Amino acid sequence: MDRLDKEKMPKAANALRRNFLRTVGIGAACAGTWVSKTLPAASSPQEAPIPNIPGYDWRKHKWAFGVDATRCIGCLRCVEACKAENGVTRDAHHFRTWVERYVYLKGDDHAHVDSQSEPGNIAASGSEQAFRFDNRYQDAPVEKAFFVPKLCNHCTHPACVQVCPTGATYQTRDGVVLIDHSYCIGCQYCVQACPYGAREFNHTMGVTDKCTWCYHRITKGLQPACVEVCPVEARVFGDRNDPESPISQFIKNNRVSVLKPHTGNAPNVFYVGIDKEVS
Amino acid sequence: MPKHIVRLMILVAVVAAAAVGAKAYFTDKSYYRYGHYRGDSVAEIAGDSPRFRGNAYCKSCHQKQYAAWESSPHNNPAAGKHVRCEVCHGPVGQHPSSVATPLSFDERIALGGHAAVLTDKSAASGSLSQPKDRTQCIQCHEAMPGRPAAQRQVALASHSGMAACNSCHDPHEPKINFSELPRPAQGNPVLGKTLAAQCAACHGPDGHSVNPEWPNLASQHAGYLLKSLQAFKAGTRTNEMMSGMAAGLSDADMENLSAYFSKEGCKRVAGDQALASLGKARSATCALCHGAAGVGGNPSWPNLAGQNVSYLTASLKSFRSGSRSHPVMTSVAKTLSDDDIDRLAAFYASANCK
Repeated sequence: MDRLDKEKMPKAANALRRNFLRTVGIGAACAGTWVSKTLPAASSPQEAPIPNIPGYDWRKHKWAFGVDATRCIGCLRCVEACKAENGVTRDAHHFRTWVERYVYLKGDDHAHVDSQSEPGNIAASGSEQAFRFDNRYQDAPVEKAFFVPKLCNHCTHPACVQVCPTGATYQTRDGVVLIDHSYCIGCQYCVQACPYGAREFNHTMGVTDKCTWCYHRITKGLQPACVEVCPVEARVFGDRNDPESPISQFIKNNRVSVLKPHTGNAPNVFYVGIDKEVS
Repeated sequence: MPKHIVRLMILVAVVAAAAVGAKAYFTDKSYYRYGHYRGDSVAEIAGDSPRFRGNAYCKSCHQKQYAAWESSPHNNPAAGKHVRCEVCHGPVGQHPSSVATPLSFDERIALGGHAAVLTDKSAASGSLSQPKDRTQCIQCHEAMPGRPAAQRQVALASHSGMAACNSCHDPHEPKINFSELPRPAQGNPVLGKTLAAQCAACHGPDGHSVNPEWPNLASQHAGYLLKSLQAFKAGTRTNEMMSGMAAGLSDADMENLSAYFSKEGCKRVAGDQALASLGKARSATCALCHGAAGVGGNPSWPNLAGQNVSYLTASLKSFRSGSRSHPVMTSVAKTLSDDDIDRLAAFYASANCK
């Protein structure tokens, strides 16, 4: 009996293994088919319905932003307008957009850089709720000075979206990088991934926040709030699909650059009049 | 199949089914609709209400202010300047609804500064901030390294002292608006000459004073003379002689007198040349309004060239002490020492008034 069993065992085991593998294989094939059918969006996003935004089709637009630093007067109306429009925390540590001042003094080989949240400038405004550049360089031997507005670059290949573990931050079809606050777990990987420091962490809500190019405005045919209030046209916004839009004209008529092109993020904020130290 | 293997497979199947079920239950239905994210969030973010609503919205009610702004340097599309309503007044939000007040107290402070809150009497009724002090203007117009040369900028220390900007400039139409100021007298100089006899005892028959304590009137701006007479009559400016004299003059009398004296030729008054050259060096601030050599400038501000030293000195000192008041001159005079006043008086007295 023992001997017979020992002779038969291999055959029986082979049959069992064969049946098992066949069953698993068929099962896997069925499961795969089911999964692929339940996820049409993932497999063919082109045919997906568009988001339910009245009067707006995100397939028809490709948004971009321009900054002309030669026009900026550093009045900071954009910074305050952004906070009012988007409910950004009213203190000196949370900004969706900000303005940097670059000053080259005679004899120096580097720029002195400050922004509106720097303590001297907060002292000049007298409050963390209003912003103003102090006039610290009025008697200094200034060789060259200029202001540079900064904001999220809404990159074509956004590093922040790549590292997000929950899909809370994503890129829309019309080229805007947004955050779904209900899915953000506050891990701040994206804050570290962004090479431009464009993301800020909202400690009250425990989520990351960033510029949306005022997505609630641009989908209604309005300009972003910072563009709306800029008194000198230093900020330009529009649709690159429209060759007559302000941004298409801006890119066509100027020699534009982007910040940190070597990082491969392919920004969609185009700058004019910035210097080698601006990044 | 051995029992323990069957049990294991059942367990694995149950766990797998639970996992698939949990994923289906916990994943939002719109997730994966457009990509690896919750598709409904796009429309949610796009659904927020804009708070900045643009000029057209403001214009629908505030047409007068809009018209003034539209033709002003604050609206110059050719030069790329658009100081729209909400740049200074803050976001319109739900204004004018008194139910949904658009701006909280904090927001008013953030947008207009404390002064805007304090001067906005109707803050509680949901109206927007109305900036009244200079904090708002200097955010764009303070002279500062880094601002492009094309931007209008003022050196705060030397521009009109610390007067509020809107004591001279209407923010909707910031170029000095002469129509708001007393117009140059339209009076009849011939009729004025018949009235001038009563002035002649002090100011001389042709407007050259008999006493250097009193001002020369010859060749002075008619608008300034008229404004001065009106101020004496209204009591906003006082002088023991002039208050009584002006009280008896009708509006037409004042216009005719102003026209007469403005047409008379003036004479140069001798002054200390050494002091005058020192005064010239100190006169840059004065020149902004009174002309480079004390002549010209705005017709509602006085010419200074050819004026008596004693009168100029007394006027500056009365502005400085506060006994005479003017939104600009009061603060400018406070920056002057006694020496400065003597030098400036000498400079303008000896300046050519023609």
